[in-house]
Amino acid sequence: MLDLNHENILKMGKYSSLSLDNVNIDTIKSLYKFMYRLRLCEQSLIDEYHPADEMKCPVHFCVGQEAIPAVISNLISENDYLFSHHRSHGYFLAKKAPMKSLFAELYGKETGASGGIAGSMDLSMPSVNFYAGAILSGAIAIAVGVALSNKLNKSKNLVFAGFGEGATEEGIFWEAINYASLKKLPIIFICENNKYSTYSPQLKRQLDDNISDKVSSFGIRTDKVYGNDVISVFKTINAAIRDIRYSGGPHFIEAYTYRWNGHVGPENDDLIEYRSIKELEIWKSNDPINILEKVLMNKKIISAEFKSKMIDEIKLEINNSFKFAKNSNFPDIDNIEKLNLSTESPLADLLLKEIDNNEFDANQPDAKLAPF
Amino acid sequence: MMRKITFANAINEALFQSMELSQDVIVLGQSVDNKSGIFGTTTGLHDEFGSDRVQDFPNAENIMTSTATGSALAGLRPVIIHQRLDFMIYSLDVIVNWMSLWRFKSNGKSGLPVTIRAIVGKGWGQGPQHSKSLHAWFAHLPGIKVAIPSTAYDAKGLLLESIFGEDPSIIIENRSLFSMKDNVPEAPYRVRFGKSIKRRNGNDLTLVAIGDMVPLALRVAEYFKDNNFDIEVIDLRSASPLDHKSIIDSVTKTKRLAIADPAWKSVGLASEIITFVYESLGSEMKSNPIRICLPDSHTPVASSLESKYYPNEEIFISSINKLINN
Repeated sequence: MLDLNHENILKMGKYSSLSLDNVNIDTIKSLYKFMYRLRLCEQSLIDEYHPADEMKCPVHFCVGQEAIPAVISNLISENDYLFSHHRSHGYFLAKKAPMKSLFAELYGKETGASGGIAGSMDLSMPSVNFYAGAILSGAIAIAVGVALSNKLNKSKNLVFAGFGEGATEEGIFWEAINYASLKKLPIIFICENNKYSTYSPQLKRQLDDNISDKVSSFGIRTDKVYGNDVISVFKTINAAIRDIRYSGGPHFIEAYTYRWNGHVGPENDDLIEYRSIKELEIWKSNDPINILEKVLMNKKIISAEFKSKMIDEIKLEINNSFKFAKNSNFPDIDNIEKLNLSTESPLADLLLKEIDNNEFDANQPDAKLAPF
Repeated sequence: MMRKITFANAINEALFQSMELSQDVIVLGQSVDNKSGIFGTTTGLHDEFGSDRVQDFPNAENIMTSTATGSALAGLRPVIIHQRLDFMIYSLDVIVNWMSLWRFKSNGKSGLPVTIRAIVGKGWGQGPQHSKSLHAWFAHLPGIKVAIPSTAYDAKGLLLESIFGEDPSIIIENRSLFSMKDNVPEAPYRVRFGKSIKRRNGNDLTLVAIGDMVPLALRVAEYFKDNNFDIEVIDLRSASPLDHKSIIDSVTKTKRLAIADPAWKSVGLASEIITFVYESLGSEMKSNPIRICLPDSHTPVASSLESKYYPNEEIFISSINKLINN
């Protein structure tokens, strides 16, 4: 068995170990379809971004990292929560939020998931329990709070938190790990180790490529998986969910994967020469969609016709999403200050009386000074 | 039914009543479950409501506040307690980058009923790391409500309002007020944010006082009454939202403004109040404004320096005399 880390993965070169095992055929097809849909979605946005320049916000594409969101999409329930970082599109779709709401948000339109207020990095859709945020590791920490609430309420709902390996350098990540393990919270931490934090490789920031070892020292169950093998990812996350349901949480999964595009934007940032073309080529040769498709075609589980029909459906959805976004209105907010605080407090109205008092007597001593 | 109880007792009562009124209220903080009871404010809660709802927390204010945020998102109403406001600086990221802008970035669809109680130390050599107040910082941040109660009545009412409201709130509690008594209703009641309260009527000067400056301000006003100068004392109570209207109404009458703020003088709440008053009434004012605040310095430990650091009656009186004589 390959000891999973980035160095060994590169040495391995072409990946040929994808095995369908006993995974349900419909599940496999839906994983394939989700990855393709996400890929075409991202590529269409990339193609349209410039020179149209109508999506006026930073966008962090996830091309090459489709397997993990695909699996989450298959395994997550409606009432589960999903927290993500800035690279949010895969997770947004994984929570079954509508593609058109994503597009409209990128276009800054009032029909966007956040009414055009948040953009790509801070995408959220409360109605499907999806929340993203760009400040590294912050969303993971908030996810822990939801898991606490679920545990206190004895709810069967789960919380998923998706992030990159860079997020594991922030102090709050370890605070979250410590607290989640202390309280045995029902949360799945999914670390997509794609080696790079903007332009900086992992081993420039961390002594070793051993995040899972560090996490497991806190008493948390960990699994490492080759993140481009969607079947392997499926089996790993599926088993993790079973573990949590059976014996409580948390569970940590480190999925090794790679992003094809630059850190942000549709442009390629290889001009900066922070990573080698060869490395990129090796990962591209292990495209999560291709390595699955090859097996499915060989086993005649899907046909060229199936693929072509699937692509047509996806393209139709994408085109409709673009139309929806472009035809929607921009938000028009008179008093933007009002958006920051609530306008009503129904529970306070219900529970608290209005009883005035203004009889404070100032002629009394302050509290006696003390060491504490 | 009202009875006189202390500031600390009033907070304790608010916590008890809120936890009885709603199963969703939980209390998080270091040692909140101990008999020490955070200066009497959490005494008895753990015995009554158990470890699930009254939780000691690891020394990790950042995750404590994030946990509160996430649990609020999922329907709970958490109360976080910091024994010293200085400790909550660890949690600035989640307050500034997540909590304060949460409602905004969800286009108004998602709110966070998180309450933070932050205690400001004073005296007995608390020193620079155990005595900060920072209410100007928090009041500057959109999306967070900030209250600074100065009486037991306000402490209970603002805490209940905060717990059962729908916004993240920070309640700044001056430690030196904890044993002071006031009439407090037995029933659960509300004191709304954004409402100051006039503690004393007067015609010659509007003195806006904040937190533990309020009792001082009232005693000083008594002194000046005997000297034919009538001071109207307004207890600010709420730093954000801030009660512009009541203060402007008062200054419209008195045409003189003084602020007593237990915080560093520069770039603070006093500056803000003076500005919005003078924006409306500047040309009508009879005198320049004065600020009675802490010096722009951290807090010294030596008792000789500490006693000079905090404004006392003499400093109030000499400042106001300067205003009168100009």
